[in-house]
Amino acid sequence: MLNLIGKRLVALVAVLLGLTVIVFALQAVIPSDPARAMVGASASPAAVAAKAHELGYDKPLPTRFLDYLGRTASGNLQSSLRTRNPVADDLRTFAPATLELALSASVLAGVMGVGLALALAAGGRLARLLRLMLVAGASVPGFLVALLAILVFYSWLHVLPASGRVSDSLVLPDGPTGLLLVDSLVAGDPGVFGSALAHLVLPAFTLALVPALAIARTLATTLEQVMREDYVRTARAKGLRERVILLRHGLRNSAGPALTMGGLQFGLLLAGIVVVEQIFSWPGLGLYLNQSIAFSDFPAITGTTLLLGTAYVVVNFLVDVAQALADPRIRTV
Amino acid sequence: MTRRVRWISAGLVAVAMAFAGCGTTNKKAAATNDVLRIPYLADMSVPDPDVFYDIEGNSVILNQYEGLLKYAPDSTKIVGSLAKSWTISADRKTYRFELQPNVMFHDSTPMTSQSVKASFLRRLHVNSAPAYMLMPIKSMSTPSKLTFIVHLKHPVNPFLAYMASSWGPKVIGPDAIKTHAGKDFGQTWLHTHGDGTGPYKLTEFSRGREYALTRNADYWGTKANFEKVLIKITPDIGTQRLELQNGDLDAIMKSFPASELASLPSNLRVIKRDSNLRLLLYVNTNKAPFNNPAVRAGLRSAIDTKQLVSEAYAGTATKSVGAYPEAILPNQPQLPYYPNATRAAAAVKKASTKKITLAYTADESGVQRRVGELLQASLTTAGFDVTLREVQLPDTYGYVKHLKTAPDLMLQTNTPDAADPDTWARIVFYSTGGLNFFGFSDKRVDTELDKAIDAPEAAATKLYQQVGQQVIDSNSIFFLGDVKDVFVINSDLKGVQNIPEYPWTVPYAPLKRAGT
Repeated sequence: MLNLIGKRLVALVAVLLGLTVIVFALQAVIPSDPARAMVGASASPAAVAAKAHELGYDKPLPTRFLDYLGRTASGNLQSSLRTRNPVADDLRTFAPATLELALSASVLAGVMGVGLALALAAGGRLARLLRLMLVAGASVPGFLVALLAILVFYSWLHVLPASGRVSDSLVLPDGPTGLLLVDSLVAGDPGVFGSALAHLVLPAFTLALVPALAIARTLATTLEQVMREDYVRTARAKGLRERVILLRHGLRNSAGPALTMGGLQFGLLLAGIVVVEQIFSWPGLGLYLNQSIAFSDFPAITGTTLLLGTAYVVVNFLVDVAQALADPRIRTV
Repeated sequence: MTRRVRWISAGLVAVAMAFAGCGTTNKKAAATNDVLRIPYLADMSVPDPDVFYDIEGNSVILNQYEGLLKYAPDSTKIVGSLAKSWTISADRKTYRFELQPNVMFHDSTPMTSQSVKASFLRRLHVNSAPAYMLMPIKSMSTPSKLTFIVHLKHPVNPFLAYMASSWGPKVIGPDAIKTHAGKDFGQTWLHTHGDGTGPYKLTEFSRGREYALTRNADYWGTKANFEKVLIKITPDIGTQRLELQNGDLDAIMKSFPASELASLPSNLRVIKRDSNLRLLLYVNTNKAPFNNPAVRAGLRSAIDTKQLVSEAYAGTATKSVGAYPEAILPNQPQLPYYPNATRAAAAVKKASTKKITLAYTADESGVQRRVGELLQASLTTAGFDVTLREVQLPDTYGYVKHLKTAPDLMLQTNTPDAADPDTWARIVFYSTGGLNFFGFSDKRVDTELDKAIDAPEAAATKLYQQVGQQVIDSNSIFFLGDVKDVFVINSDLKGVQNIPEYPWTVPYAPLKRAGT
């Protein structure tokens, strides 16, 4: 197990280094003028040049890259050209909202995925209907799901809010985690908890839908194979109930591919966050990234990309470890 | 029904009721008469009047801070704001401002001529984009508590216009200037706070979520009607529209799709007012095919500005008539844009390459893309092979350094900093102008603009007119449309005042609900 963790940690560092190089290269290739964008159209050429010097944009590319690597390694992600705050501070401001959304969507995707897979494994008319839904659901783009959800639950039924993280009439608890569901429980504030939960439903569902369907498809297929295995037949012969066999034997032995799929889908979920946060006005990293792109705010873009990239790599690392725990054969690979 | 199923059902009903309850809470808040809810499509950069130089965010600045002068509603007439009167010396180098008495900052300290001087000095020290307006100042003096005198190095025709500009110098209180000055003239503090004299105070600045402005009970002028203004960051215009229709927002001030204006429900109304926003087509004259003047002349014949404006803007813009916004320069040379398909096709035949790229800057309403598509169609008919490309505004600043790889044409909407021809010509026509994206350069234009800035008024006007004619004749920049400010508001909202020079914003203080 330690060997596996060591290998994955080396891979993690390599992936992050690669990501850093790609992000920097993109920044260098795009013919923009961040100094001019920052000081404004009416600034004198001298003022633009001074700002470019201050930001280090007048240095040769290799020097800039080395500076950039050194700064990033020491946790200095520079200041945002738009908000003028240190990017690390901005990330601390926006990350909790994304973390809350991503965690909720991941849990929802897992629950929905397993539930759908079990329903499919049960067979019958419901399973056939669900199979159709899986195909249809997987082909619907996320933004369309978001818009439909807003239209139905906000505009027509008036039961869920369309934007934001909490009702603007409420006073928010001050920490400790930045996750409103947790903080409101800690503060004993049911009003904020209810509002935060209501605001979370639509974006989390939109984000969870596609991963849930992918997990369901993978898990259902593996379950079907597992349920035909000899040891399952033995369990049946011993008189165990079908539900017990499914949950105790079938599900555990089918978990590997579904976990892998879950890890891969987490990457898609992070990508989807940019669109979902935009549509639902969710004040997280996706919204911050979107606004930074529109401003060519490279320090902010780089910082956010590195953070999201790290999250993706770490989650896949955890998935690898979980797989190894679930299936001892993997530990020797 | 088993006990477990009953529990699950009860749980679901409770959750549904909780959601329904939250919905009700939202509705109650929306119906609150003393809260005005306005969306922004994106966070503003910083609420610091000496740094802020964008458009989205203007309302936070202008409702919180005041300058010496301002523009009267629906006009380009300069009127007093914190200055109740002013005089200009015969040599046009000394400006004497008499200040309003009994003006208090949000931190409850009185505003004096010393405050104005400190604010002007801060802008110069911060030295960000808007500082250019104060660069011509030689010295400042404060002979009395309510008299502020500025001595310029040389006459500057647009100086009063600078003072009235939405990005012009604002008077900032001692909370920022002294108490929280730190090592950066209070810039860090002003990232999330404010201390002006305006009708609203900044009481919350939650980046990515919302900003709250609260009525200044000690305001020296007519007090605001709404107790609070909530500015919500809502990046999707579709979501904004639904929230407006449902009563969770009171108005949309920017980027409402023109094509949807005709299908609004009866609880909303549209206000269209003149602005100085202009739609321009920049031509890259530094490479083929548009380095050839004959091809550029053909391009002029291929553009039907009347059709572009009417089809893309659906009544929210008019065809431009001159090189400057109509309201800021009298008797300016008229645009000789007469579409002629035969002439256009003949000119295209002279082009060394037919393949061109037409860029347009991204905007949420989609109108620039629509103009781009219409232009693409007419240029294709003329014989060009046009690739349409969406670009981000900041990227366009880099084109001037990469002219050979920059697009051949670019659509962009811009506005002058103030209602003065110099503030338009100097950034768009001058060879080093910040909005001169493709490096248009004409020595005569530069010389005439340098002469115009301190020339007597009549001579300056003539020079600006000449410059306009030269730019028109060069076919390097085409002036397509004068874009209106479009506000979509709840029908019960009254008191909307528009200032053409302050795009996409209105003063919040006069706004009120019908019957209040």
